[in-house]
Amino acid sequence: MTTLLQVTGLTKQFAQHKVVDDIHFNLEEKTSTALIGPNGAGKTTTLSMLTGLLRPTAGSVKMLGNDLHANIGFLPQYPQFHPWLTALEFTEMAAKLNGVAAKKAKLEAQKTLEFVGLGTAQYKKIGSFSGGMKQRLGISQAIVHKPKLLLLDEPVSALDPVGRREVLDLLKGLQQETTILYSTHILNDAEEMTDQLLFLQNGKLVEQGTLREVRQRFDKQNYVIEFGSEEEAKLFANPSNHVIGCYVYIEIVNEEPTMKKLLQRLSECPYTIRKVERQTASLEEIFMEVAKKA
Amino acid sequence: MMEELAKVPWAVIAPLIIVQIILMIVALIDLRKIHATNGPKILWVFIIIFANLLGSIAYFIVGRKQS
Amino acid sequence: MRGFNVLLQKEFREAWRSWKFLWIPLVFALLGMSDPLTNYYMMDILNAVGNVPEGFEMLMPELMPLDLIQASIGQFQTIGLLVMMASFVGAISKERANGMATLLYARPISFAAYFLSKFVVMSTICFVSILAGFAASVYYTSILYGTLDIGALLVSFSTYYIWLLFVIAVTLMMSASFKTVIATTCAFTVIFVGQIIDMIIGIFWTISPWKLASYGIAKFRGTIEMSDYWWSLVITLALTIICIGIGIVMMKRNASMIKI
Repeated sequence: MTTLLQVTGLTKQFAQHKVVDDIHFNLEEKTSTALIGPNGAGKTTTLSMLTGLLRPTAGSVKMLGNDLHANIGFLPQYPQFHPWLTALEFTEMAAKLNGVAAKKAKLEAQKTLEFVGLGTAQYKKIGSFSGGMKQRLGISQAIVHKPKLLLLDEPVSALDPVGRREVLDLLKGLQQETTILYSTHILNDAEEMTDQLLFLQNGKLVEQGTLREVRQRFDKQNYVIEFGSEEEAKLFANPSNHVIGCYVYIEIVNEEPTMKKLLQRLSECPYTIRKVERQTASLEEIFMEVAKKA
Repeated sequence: MMEELAKVPWAVIAPLIIVQIILMIVALIDLRKIHATNGPKILWVFIIIFANLLGSIAYFIVGRKQS
Repeated sequence: MRGFNVLLQKEFREAWRSWKFLWIPLVFALLGMSDPLTNYYMMDILNAVGNVPEGFEMLMPELMPLDLIQASIGQFQTIGLLVMMASFVGAISKERANGMATLLYARPISFAAYFLSKFVVMSTICFVSILAGFAASVYYTSILYGTLDIGALLVSFSTYYIWLLFVIAVTLMMSASFKTVIATTCAFTVIFVGQIIDMIIGIFWTISPWKLASYGIAKFRGTIEMSDYWWSLVITLALTIICIGIGIVMMKRNASMIKI
């Protein structure tokens, strides 16, 4: 994998308050990265600095081998359009402003609008668009010039469940072609579409890595064993185990030896064992852990 | 009354009235098409019709929501 | 000047579809009509309103056709400018505040191109507007008072247009520099308070952009020095260019004021 974007020591300070505090990360080509964190963590500020709309107080953003400004597509959280223009006119203008040749721009714009599902609405004025349509148009203006890096600020948070599903699928379709960095506070979305996670809290990057790495680091190695009855579960459990009904929750700290011991106990015990399952922590839980740690 | 009406120099007044009416109609057409106004639409209908020149100007400057 | 044509097209479309090319000229046409009409029918209006004592003979000054064009320019100078500036002053600051600028500023556009595209469209609207205003005024003046000299009209029209270019440049520069409310205050102060100051103590100088609006006709009448006229013209054009320059710089500097 080749690195596309290098962010070093990025900081933004408003008055005395550091909204983004010395963050470092790289984006590899054709991967998608989720920037997650609670509201006010500095996600939008970080993205704004990457787009060049906001000047960093310190630090730098470098796109290797290319001019950053000309090679990004940006979708703000609440994209606002010029209501008098049609979807096609706006997308075509966006393409031309990013240097797509005038002859090709209209065709590219039409293809992109078709791709985001606005093919039939392309000649309508944006003023009459619904929220979901504006979000699609927002995506189309961000991708029409085929940017190397796509920056999306909360791309699906404002949408209803159906719209969210559709837009997420759209974005997944783009994953193979371009590098994506998007922010979200909805962890399920991040879980669905991400190679790298960046946890932002109070402006600091408190955790980063691939989904697997982060998981391994934070996984509590919980196992659930389901017994035939509640009595059996109670009889099997140690005082340190957590019992709910016929389920026993066991936390394994030192995996290898403890695991073997557990298996031995299980094979020797006379009770009915219906299921043994390892629980993977959801991003939600990891998120809570990270938040607690920070 | 009819005599007085006939005395009005219509050839002179007509362009003035026509321009005013066009302005009012343009404002009303725009109001019909526009997605959002500052304040209720019906209020603007009255302002445009009854405060003719000033009403139309006011509508074009502050009546329309830009986003 | 990257993207100038594209941005110009966008500005034209917006101005056209929001009826700016129609309603502002119509307002100017009405302003142009009002002075020749009200002056001509003043006596009738007074009679119709009543309360004119028997035998009352108002001493109406004998008005020459050029006086009425001058009076119409006076109308453009107050209500006309008010309408024009009010509808232009948000051009940059409002786009920043409501987030519409974000999608453009995030692209590699040239701020000079964006600023100038707005300037060109506004000057075109102004051109059409005072054309309509002058036409209306000339139409009524010529049927009610008598014919006008084409040369005088051309000179006063083009002189007034140059003053308007200055007004647009000031308005846009303020819009680029400040938020809408402050921009409005500053632009109105420069243009209107400037006019008032020029009116009160303006006798001490003869060269100023604020005098230009009346210099077109004054030049034709020969009531001013030619050099004063030309110097005022040159200074106004120079200030217009300076305002455009400052406006572009401020637009770029304030790019981070946008709502994201």
